Amino acid sequence: MSTVTVGVVGAGRIGRMHASNLVHHVPEARLKAVSSPHIDEGWTRGLGIPVATQDNEAVFRDPEIAAVIIAAPSGRHVELIRRAAEAGKHIWCEKPVAFDPQSITSAIEAARAGGVQLQVGFNRRFDPSIRRLAEAVRQGEVGELNGLRIINRDPKAPPIDFVKRSGGMFFDFTIHDLDTARHLSGRDIEEVYAAGAVLVDPAIGAAGDIDTAIVTLRLQGGALCVIDNSRQTGYGYDQRFEAFGSKGNLVVDNLRPTTVEAFLDGGVFEDTPLPSFIERYQDAFIEELRAFIGCVRDGSPVAVTAEDALAAVRAAGAARTSMLENRPVRLDEETRGGGR
Amino acid sequence: MKQITVGVIGTGRIGTIHAGNLAHMPGVQLKAVADPLVVPSEWEDRGVEALLDPHALIADSDIDAVLVCSPTPTHAELTMAAAETGKHVFCEKPIDLEPKRIRQTLEVVERSGVQLQVGFNRRFDPTFARLRRAVVDGEVGDLHMVKIVARDPAPPPAEYVRDSGGMFLDMTIHDFDMVRFLSGSEVLEVHAFGAVLVDPAIGEAGDVDTAVVTMKLANGGLAVIENSRRAVFGYDQRIEVFGSRGGIEAMNEYPYQVRQRTARGERKANPLYFFLQRYQRSFVAEVETFVDSVRQGRTPPVTGRDGLIPVLIGLAATESMRSHRPVRVESP
Repeated sequence: MSTVTVGVVGAGRIGRMHASNLVHHVPEARLKAVSSPHIDEGWTRGLGIPVATQDNEAVFRDPEIAAVIIAAPSGRHVELIRRAAEAGKHIWCEKPVAFDPQSITSAIEAARAGGVQLQVGFNRRFDPSIRRLAEAVRQGEVGELNGLRIINRDPKAPPIDFVKRSGGMFFDFTIHDLDTARHLSGRDIEEVYAAGAVLVDPAIGAAGDIDTAIVTLRLQGGALCVIDNSRQTGYGYDQRFEAFGSKGNLVVDNLRPTTVEAFLDGGVFEDTPLPSFIERYQDAFIEELRAFIGCVRDGSPVAVTAEDALAAVRAAGAARTSMLENRPVRLDEETRGGGR
Repeated sequence: MKQITVGVIGTGRIGTIHAGNLAHMPGVQLKAVADPLVVPSEWEDRGVEALLDPHALIADSDIDAVLVCSPTPTHAELTMAAAETGKHVFCEKPIDLEPKRIRQTLEVVERSGVQLQVGFNRRFDPTFARLRRAVVDGEVGDLHMVKIVARDPAPPPAEYVRDSGGMFLDMTIHDFDMVRFLSGSEVLEVHAFGAVLVDPAIGEAGDVDTAVVTMKLANGGLAVIENSRRAVFGYDQRIEVFGSRGGIEAMNEYPYQVRQRTARGERKANPLYFFLQRYQRSFVAEVETFVDSVRQGRTPPVTGRDGLIPVLIGLAATESMRSHRPVRVESP
């Protein structure tokens, strides 16, 4: 089967990582072009990428390019999806597609009209451990699902400039957990209760956001899910997941750089967890692109759709409403015409 | 060491355990037990009087202190009766299911000038005491979160559930106490999601068997409790406290520490089966502490107020589930 020629739009930290993964780890893809207003030709040359341009249109107009990876700033995702879909390119878009359901819906429609695939960057779905947990739930290894636990804590609070344009913690950070709850359970979220606090950095509070949260979900069929978030652990990236049911409990623990246990005078020490999402989800970042390229090649449907992004954003919106109004919020409130 | 003479009211499961522990405690004489269903032969061989009437035990002027381990509806009345005769009281949790009655009991205790300790044994578990120390000593920095997983190995019979006051007052009450103990803070507000996922008979009896309770604390932190009436692999009791300097987590305890390697995977033992095994040491330690408090004339570390507040939190959780909104906890 032929290789898929790909362009990457956006060359910030994440865009560069995806480009490098395509070059080094996705043999089924040929990365032809990268566009970014701040393109660094030394970097593209180093990776053997033939075209480096400041003009996204150069990517969209290139007839050889079949698929694009959108890793530009979040605020531009929908516009770039529309443009790529018009140009008939299959699309892989970094999360969040957008912060509001209407924009995501328009992106879905654009992809449909263009007859192209649209995969969203919920990378965790491709993490081997999380995927194993989801399969265990699907295959009944835990029996009837009663509950999920998701622990997601960042190593270090982001800069305030980032917080201000992040869309808020539920949309920027918890959104992964909301998707993971859907992925692990195979069910939709029915109801959300969110308690938030500013405990890490008062500047985050001053910017109108929170840095600590406990979000409880009621899933279709009755199972409950608890998500806890903190913007700062001080001990690395804390990522743990559990699925509890009538037949038992499956736990995904943190990954560490090494498996060494040091038995010392002051205690027994293991390494701290991997420092950030880049290391923790390294395999997942590669696998999500491989899966996407695979779908482009054989025309099979993508595993993570913009509908998944839409569901996660709706849940994030419900979490925000829950926190602001201090009440549990049902996701069907809008469609029922309810709310306050 | 001054000898303390003790009586145990109620010779059910927990009363028998406390009586057995008292028998091995230096400086303690277990003089009598009382229970309408007592089997005298089980006690008289050990030199312990076996009475049918708890009030006969309370009337015994040799006895300095009583342990009230009878069914919950009798706790308040017996605690008051014992206090009025000047006896110090160790009362199993909960003192009562009604705050009014608990307050009345605490007034009588206060007026009588006796010591009262409530049976929140888990505070005396060495592992949880270690978590508390991590908070007190600042090891976790400013406390941001307390997270409790508490799952029983098997659900109680539905008829037990009917008289239990509901899961929050029967089971989660220990976790409410643990949130207060570990955080050193009070619970301001509670939100509870409940579900019937384990046994439909529990639902028919008007209770839930699965719940997630979120709490906002006076110190600004958050807490969450996850409960299930059935974890098929054994008693699941894990607690994590997380703060500005890191986290510390209490894991499950196991009857033996082995790793078996098989073609199917690596295998560890299941956690200790239930509370009698998991909290064995804490049952000894709480009663030792009580007896010591009596001996020294000191206020015990788990007071009547500590008995009242988790009931108020449990009622708020029950109300939250019923009214489908977060509920403020009534002030003690």
